[in-house]
This record gives sequence, structure tokens and C-alpha cells, in this order.
Amino acid sequence: MPGHRTKGFRASAAALALCAVMAGCGGSGESTGGGKVVLRYTWWGNPDRAARTEQAVALFEKQHPNVRVQTSFSGYDAYKQKLAIQATGGDAPDVMQLDYRQIDQYASGHVLLDLGKVKDTLRTDEIDAGLLATGRVNGRQYAVPQGRGTETVVYDVKAWKAAGVPHPAKGWTWSQWADDMRELARRTGRPGATDPGQSEDAFEVWLRGRGKALYTKDRQLGFTADDLTEWWTFTDRLRREGAVSPAEQTTQLDGSVENTPLGRGKATADFNWDAPSSGYLALVPTGVALAPMPSGEDGTPGQYFKPSMFLGIGAHTGHPEEAAALVDFLLNDSGAAKILGATRGIPVNEKIRTGTASQLKDFDKTVSDFQTSLEGSLKDPPQAPPSGDNALQTTFQRDYDQVSYQRMSPREAARNYVTEAKAELRS
Amino acid sequence: MTTTDIPAPAPGMARPAPAPKRRPRRERQGAAWVFLSPWVLGAIVLTLLPMAVSLYLSFTDYDLFNPPHWVGLRNYVQMFTEDPRYWRSVLTTLTYVVIAVPLQLALALVVALALKNMRRGKGFYRSAFYAPSLLGASMSVALVWRALFNDGGTVDHLLGNGGWINKPGWSLLAVALLTVWQFGAPMVIFLAGLQQIPGELYEAAAVDGAGKWRQFVSVTVPMLSPVLFFNLVLQTIQAFQVFTPAFAVSAGKGGPADSTLVYTLYLYDRGFVASHMGYASAMAWVLLVVIGAVTAVLFRTSRSWVFYASEGDR
Repeated sequence: MPGHRTKGFRASAAALALCAVMAGCGGSGESTGGGKVVLRYTWWGNPDRAARTEQAVALFEKQHPNVRVQTSFSGYDAYKQKLAIQATGGDAPDVMQLDYRQIDQYASGHVLLDLGKVKDTLRTDEIDAGLLATGRVNGRQYAVPQGRGTETVVYDVKAWKAAGVPHPAKGWTWSQWADDMRELARRTGRPGATDPGQSEDAFEVWLRGRGKALYTKDRQLGFTADDLTEWWTFTDRLRREGAVSPAEQTTQLDGSVENTPLGRGKATADFNWDAPSSGYLALVPTGVALAPMPSGEDGTPGQYFKPSMFLGIGAHTGHPEEAAALVDFLLNDSGAAKILGATRGIPVNEKIRTGTASQLKDFDKTVSDFQTSLEGSLKDPPQAPPSGDNALQTTFQRDYDQVSYQRMSPREAARNYVTEAKAELRS
Repeated sequence: MTTTDIPAPAPGMARPAPAPKRRPRRERQGAAWVFLSPWVLGAIVLTLLPMAVSLYLSFTDYDLFNPPHWVGLRNYVQMFTEDPRYWRSVLTTLTYVVIAVPLQLALALVVALALKNMRRGKGFYRSAFYAPSLLGASMSVALVWRALFNDGGTVDHLLGNGGWINKPGWSLLAVALLTVWQFGAPMVIFLAGLQQIPGELYEAAAVDGAGKWRQFVSVTVPMLSPVLFFNLVLQTIQAFQVFTPAFAVSAGKGGPADSTLVYTLYLYDRGFVASHMGYASAMAWVLLVVIGAVTAVLFRTSRSWVFYASEGDR
């Protein structure tokens, strides 16, 4: 009768609602495959880094037969976007590679596990205290730096030699760099380098060369629209002259070496971080070398050593101990260190760094020598960027796109950026 | 008065012996609700509730990680006064709608007209033209599209202009073409509409000496106008909400120079990439209001150009 049906309706409604809720909650945490603990480990990088990471992971699985590690990697831009979605959806990987820009946001957003909870498994005593502190937010360790890196001008040695442009020396300035780019473009018929106007990193180096910073101590903008206008006017002119890559090339950058003008054979130099520059070797058959970033006109160096990347553990991981063991292995195991070399920058574990320095070969040695050459001459790194910087990095590219496609003047775009940055940093 | 006095299940009571065909009204409603329950639940849990939450969030600074704080109209004020990129995305979306909708409808109509009088292979061609609508929504086709229009891609080889997707003046057209190519749904509706037009109208027109073009303008268009209106409204609403082709063709960035940063792509970027879900919610509500307004305007103008056959009888 009617009453009976209503009850049935209620029951089925409740059942359906329950199904919906269950479906929503399922999937996180307990994932086991054949009785094994399954860990998800994600990172960004080039194919060289991927191959070596797979090798290291295989060694870890051998040492820990009860654990299976599911890996996945992509270029930086895609990685950043995907991780943001996973993190906000409560589906962050068990072990994840993180950029300096992401630490603050993900730590305060409860995406990352407080590593103090697994400190018995994850040892950090052999890591330089200052470097270790970069992974700390509000007094708690949320991430551990995995390597030390710095920016570089990576260039096609043979093309430069053929063009008769002298190899860059330490202390070269931005105007010397610009002259070299013009010279290269004239001699090779190709732009000298990737247009650095789109890169917040390159802008920071330029800015620091003039004694300023991206952000102030109280996490506000450390520069004015005039500074940015000057930078963009400088790069805009070079681009118009054909000394750096045209907009159509620059816009294809996605954080992978394959899609850079240098990687595509359309330019003879690029700006990048030192360790990932190993990826160019496969793309520039004649070989690449690393030069320091240009300095300010008075010789003030703008580049600095920074933690190239971090490892963090997802706050909702079902297996904190195993995840901690994997992080510990990647940082502190000598076997892993031998495989990984300097693919993520120079190792942070002091004992491993001194122990493996003499054994480094090929590009790892290039990176190590490059860092040694800069040792002691660089200024202190800035404090960790505010969480809004993660989004502002993209905004910076987009606003410069307006300049390089000649839809806006450098001044107009710079004003827009400052407006957007102030709104971003306020929230 | 008398009818209301008779209880509703009267027919059933008159002949109780055979299985009652009609149940009491209330009881029938109960059954209806049981069958409707999946939909009703879905509408409440997946649509109405999230809408209410999003309306609330649009007045907060929700960043997906921390609990939201009430900020009043700040998101709306920021959108209209402090975000030049927002206005660019509005302009891009309007441009997209103006390009994609007429192109798609025109193509759908032309193909439907060609198919209407086809004697053999109609079924085959209809399916063939409909197929892109099924394929086109998929990510893989969008990626193929990206490869086609990239520099070094097919279009580059044919036209030698360096491809479209890295040129701000052309990239939106590449996105629009991906949508236009999926004209299957309006085409099928047009075809149905064309087949409803009585043949004698054309015969009469022919007798009066009307040529093909004149028949099209004076018979087909007015008779088809209700269907045309239906397609126009539907496709306009969909065009305002375009996301997938723009996302895939620009690799999620809306580039170059924001030329494919359509409204929903920017909304996604603000919400999920920059973690400003409050702001993104505010954007979503503005879009809803704008689509509502545009649809209302379309309905208003329809009075002057949509012809319903029943009106002619009056």
C-alpha cells in the first residue's frame, strides 16, 4: 500500500545516497596489489631523469619486497597542473616531487604529511641544516630538499665556436649577453637564445643583479612596474631584432627541454636549471656547455643556489612508513645516489655528496664542476616565495605573451602584472 | 460539480474483478517517484546542492585547502575592476560564439539540405556526418587537432604559414573549427525539421514560378524557423560553455597570448590551478546570468522571425 511504497522509496533513496557517498570516498588510501603495499611516486623531469629514477626505484623494490612503487612523470607545466588537481581533490600521491613554490601552499593546505611523524624512518641528520630549513613551514618539516641547483646559460658549444663568439666567462653582464645574442643571430641566422622575457626565474636573476628581489620580507612585491617595464623593454627589443626567439617559438615552452628553441634546433642557447640541462645532450648532438647567468652591470651576481626540488609525502597516504622509507632511500642510500647522480641537482646528503663527487661522470660532472665554480661567489638565497607565486609564475608568462605578440606595450603589460600580483598576494 | 464528487478510482471500482488497470492517484505518484528517484537524487546531490554551495563560495575566499572566509562582494569587484585577463576572456568567448555558432548552424543546414533529397546511401552519409560529434568530444581528436594545426603540422605544410595554434589571430579559429566539425546534432534536428515541411508547399511554389533559391528563402526558411531557433539557442548556450577544445588545443594554457583563453578555461585556471575557488565560483555565477540574459534576448527577437505553422491557421 502507499505507506509501504513510501518506505521502499525511502530505503532505495537512502541506498542510492549511500552508494554515492561510498563512491566519493572510495579509492583513497588502502591500495594493495597482490598483498603488496603500493606507493604512488610522481615527479617532473626529462627522459634521462626518468630512466635513472626507474632504476633507483627498482633497487628500492628489491630491498623492500613488500612494496611496489607506481611511478609517473611529465614535464613541469603539466606536472604542476596535475598535482594541483590531485592535491585539491584529496588524491595527492604518496610520495611527490615538489617545487619551492608549492611548499608553503601545500603545507598550510594540509596536503603534506608532517615529516616529524616519520622521523625514525626518514633520516635528515646528514643534510645541511640551512638547506633542510627550506622545507619547513611554521616550524614543521613538510618536505626535504632533494638536490641543490642553480640557473645556467646552456649553449651549443660548436655553434658558438663556429660563429666566433667567445665562450661566456664568469661575471659577464646582461648587456654582454645581449651583444653575444645579436652576434650569434647575425652569424648563424638563428636567434641566439630563448626569449627570457617570459621567465619569472630569469627576471629574478636580472632583478637581483640590481640589488632588488621578487618579494619583500613581508611577502609583498619587491619590485615596481617600472622595473618590470625596463626588463620587458630590454627583451622586447632583442626579440624584435631577432636576437632571441620569436613569440611563436617561445609560446611552445612547457617546461620540457624538448620544446625549447635550443632543443628544437631553432636557437643556440637557452636558460635553464643546471641539472635538467642534461636533457639537451640527446637533442643537441654536438654537445652543450654550462655558463653562469649574466650579472648586473656592476658585476652583482643575480643567480643563487636553491633547493632544486623537494620530496614530500601525502598527508592522506595509507602507508606513511613505506613512503618515508622510499624518501629516505632516495636521499640517503648510497646505491640510489650512485644511480641518480646529479640528475636532480647536487645531492643534499653531505656524506653522499663528498663520497660520490669523485665518481661523478659525464653530465653529472659538468653540473658538479659548474656549481663548484660558483661556490662562494653568490649571494644568499631569498626566503621561500609566498604561496601566490605558484600562480604568478604562469601570470608572468601570459602577460609577457601580450608583449611578444605585440598586443601590448611593455609598460601596459607590466602595469597589468603588478595589479594582478597585488591581488594575488593579498588573498 | 458532479464530477468532482466522484472518487478518482471510480472506473476501477466499477469492475473490481479483473486486475485493476488504474491505481489510486497517490499510489501511482509513489511509483513515479520511485522510478524518478535516481534522477531526483542526482539533480539534488549533483546539481542543486553544488549550485547552492558554489553561490555561497562565490562570496568567500575559498582556496580548496583552508576553510572559506566570507569576503562579501570582493570576488565580483576584483573580477570587474582588477583583472584585465577576465575581460579578455569575456571578449574571446564572445568572439568564439560569433564565429562558431553561425558556422556550425550553416554547415549543419547545408548538409541536411543535401541529405534530404538523397535517394541512396542516406543512412550511411547521415552516420558519417554524425560521427565527428561522437569522436570530436574526445581528448584524442583534440590532440590530433593540435598536431594538425601546430607548426610543422599538416596545415603548416599545406599553407606554409607556420600553423595556426601559435598565432593569436588564428588559434581561436582552429578551436572553433573543431566545434564546427561536430555539427551532427543540429544536422539531425534540421533533417527532421526539413522532412516535416509538406511537399505541396514546394509544388505550389514551383507552379508559381519560384526557383530553387526562392523556394529556399520563402518556403524552407520560414517553415524551418522553429527548428532553426531551437538549434540556435542550444548551440549558443553550448558555445558560451566551450571548454574541452580550447583546453586541448592550447595544452591547457589558453595561449598564445590568451587568444584561446575562453571563459570556462579561465574559470578552471582560477579555480583549480591558482586555487581561487571562491573567485571561480563568482565567475561561474556571472556566466550563468549572462547565458540566461542572452537566451532571453534570443527568445524576445524570435517573435519577429520565428514562424509557427499553427499561427498561419489563425
